[in-house]
Amino acid sequence: MYTLLSGLYKHLVQKDDYFLLILGLDNAGKSTYLEAAKTKFKKDYKSLNASKITTTVGLNIGQVDVSGIRINFWDLGGQEDLQSLWDKYYAECHAVIYVVDSADRERMDESKEVFDRVIGSEHLIGVPLFYTCGPDGVHEGIDWLVECVKRNAANRPPKDADFS
Amino acid sequence: MGGLLSYFQGLFGSREMRILILGLDGAGKTTILYRLQVGEVVTTIPTIGFNVEQVTYNNLKFQVWDLGGQTSIRPYWRCYYSNTDAIIYVVDSADRDRMGISKQELVSMLEEEELRGAVLAVLANKQDMEGAMSVAEVYSALGLEALKTRTFQIFKTSAIKGEGLDQAMDWLANALQAKK
Repeated sequence: MYTLLSGLYKHLVQKDDYFLLILGLDNAGKSTYLEAAKTKFKKDYKSLNASKITTTVGLNIGQVDVSGIRINFWDLGGQEDLQSLWDKYYAECHAVIYVVDSADRERMDESKEVFDRVIGSEHLIGVPLFYTCGPDGVHEGIDWLVECVKRNAANRPPKDADFS
Repeated sequence: MGGLLSYFQGLFGSREMRILILGLDGAGKTTILYRLQVGEVVTTIPTIGFNVEQVTYNNLKFQVWDLGGQTSIRPYWRCYYSNTDAIIYVVDSADRDRMGISKQELVSMLEEEELRGAVLAVLANKQDMEGAMSVAEVYSALGLEALKTRTFQIFKTSAIKGEGLDQAMDWLANALQAKK
């Protein structure tokens, strides 16, 4: 009986889980973008001091609830030798946010090359893509992405929230 | 009452963070612990049992446990899991043969319910050795791409030379404070 009720409760309050991948060259501002998103959408979230954000070699996660669904961010390291690891996440993500440092003209070509490689991947066909120059307007950006992943839910269904 | 007390303790930042240093035998766990504590390379012998020290870093106090890593005593790691804030997982980057075993130990450890909220820092140690694996290689060898619900970070370190440990501790301190 307990299992039944708790199962029912879970079913009612459970939110669909979607995963958003944040990609871009190293030092483009991916972790900063994640922090901005968390600050925007999480109540009483104390944002990390920008100077404390260091180079990511690994994974930062963030979880925010937006208009009835749960968004999970995966912020990956962008250094060259870490880029080969990105594709391990493609199959399971629901959208990609590509961050580019618009002030860094020298690396624009490099960023474009990497971007082309990302969108060329077969695992990302049909996945909503958001190209951004930084955390300004993060609110509108995420809202737009939320609409996109919802619309795309038939192709990429949300994850069962069980494991999170 | 206890909750109130710990709330005030939290305000003054005096709660000690509990950190476990884990990894296979010979990865350099004890050397790292004492490098953090006294800033020197000490001569170590294989740890049977554990070493525990209080480490202060950036005004944060950590209680750091270094558990023995030999095959026969790895099953006892789990006795120390409760209330752990962070795990420092040390791998010997030059020991390619045992990377698979290291991966198994890491995977089975992270499945534990008690460690669900713990932050993970992987130290790719012994970078001073020839033929040490790169960060990306360690990442794949340990199967870290399977970790999708945990914040983690890999650091290149050399405990003997003292490289990379500061970055790792900086990151840990930030990650733990953000979590609080």
